[in-house]
Amino acid sequence: MVKFRRFSTSRWWNKRQTWIVILSFLILLFLRLSKTFIFWDIYYFITKPFWPGEYQQEILRKSINQELNIKLNQLERDNLRLRKLLDIQNFSEVNKLNSSVISRDTGSWWKKILLNKGSQNGVRPGDPVIGPGGLIGIVENISNLTSSVQLLTSPNSKVGVWSQKANLHGLLIGMGTKTPQLIFYSKNDNIQEGDYILSSPASTILPPNIPIGIIQSIDNESKPYTIATVQLTANPEAIDWVQIFRMGF
Amino acid sequence: MKFYINQYLSFVSFLLIPLLTFWNPSWFSLMGSQAYWPIFWILPWALIHGPYKSIVVGFILGFLLDTINADYYTQIPGLMICGFWFGKVGNLNYVNNTPLQFGLLASIGSLICGLIYFFQIIINLLLQNSNLWEFSYGVQIICAQVFLTGLLAPVFCKWLYLLFNRKSKLKI
Repeated sequence: MVKFRRFSTSRWWNKRQTWIVILSFLILLFLRLSKTFIFWDIYYFITKPFWPGEYQQEILRKSINQELNIKLNQLERDNLRLRKLLDIQNFSEVNKLNSSVISRDTGSWWKKILLNKGSQNGVRPGDPVIGPGGLIGIVENISNLTSSVQLLTSPNSKVGVWSQKANLHGLLIGMGTKTPQLIFYSKNDNIQEGDYILSSPASTILPPNIPIGIIQSIDNESKPYTIATVQLTANPEAIDWVQIFRMGF
Repeated sequence: MKFYINQYLSFVSFLLIPLLTFWNPSWFSLMGSQAYWPIFWILPWALIHGPYKSIVVGFILGFLLDTINADYYTQIPGLMICGFWFGKVGNLNYVNNTPLQFGLLASIGSLICGLIYFFQIIINLLLQNSNLWEFSYGVQIICAQVFLTGLLAPVFCKWLYLLFNRKSKLKI
């Protein structure tokens, strides 16, 4: 009997430590594969009572009205060309979804915000996110209840933009700082400080003509292409409500 | 009940790190940057449990944070080095657990982690041949993190050290 006991406890599957190691490995594997969405959802429920109130949504609506007035003027100026593009995009008011910011990491390495709308609400990776003032970023990852947004200031962000005044397309690259860099791959003297930067009408990712920023400074000399520093019109550090444009909805 | 609370204190406080990472309380920020939260947990834990266990815990913590942030770069090497070093310091009894020593250790740990992360970004940008990058933002984030971590460490680390230490006494 004693021998039998010794024999049985010496097997690896009878050792508690083995199962702890296997369990730990499975937990880590689950966390990696699920990208910790479970943590996002837990965070969603914990912070739910502290989300910003309705009055901030009212501020957002007023800001959006102002933004729309600016956009309307711009749209009238190049109506013929954009009409064709809008037919392709087929973008309407129905696709907009209000969402509040439940976590914000704008200052450190990860320029991201977390929103309280996820795949349950039809949000998909790649959907643009608009705040008061203009575009703030693009949805990067989603869970069932939340979605994380990569901000335009992130070093991993690259967005096609357009200067309406100079009629020139460029690439807006996040630098980690508050002011992303804009590359125009051809030299053009028409670009000036203070020009508005909008999302490119040629883009298949973003809706056309969303305000993005204002050119702060231009470097036309040091490189074979033109580099401009852009001051973003939307400030993700200060906003609590945003709109998600559901592109594939 | 008290026994069970003490028993699982390390684990519960460990789970608070990702929540703090999400929360990012703005009143603890300097120039938009936060303190490096994982250091506050791994420093007292490593001082008690030694270098080798702390390497493993550093790996798990880094793995968890990498998964949350879903970035191209990793925090694992920084946290493993810090775990090992803090564990060694704890074993050698160099620390008499004064607030200044906690602050100094946490600051240096945060600097190590910040520099390793920033070097990864620089190497990646150099490999991409990107000439559009700036040192300033990385230096700013590291400086703010080091300062804040050092400032808050005496409070958080001392508190966690006392809690973890009480637990280890109970186990004996």
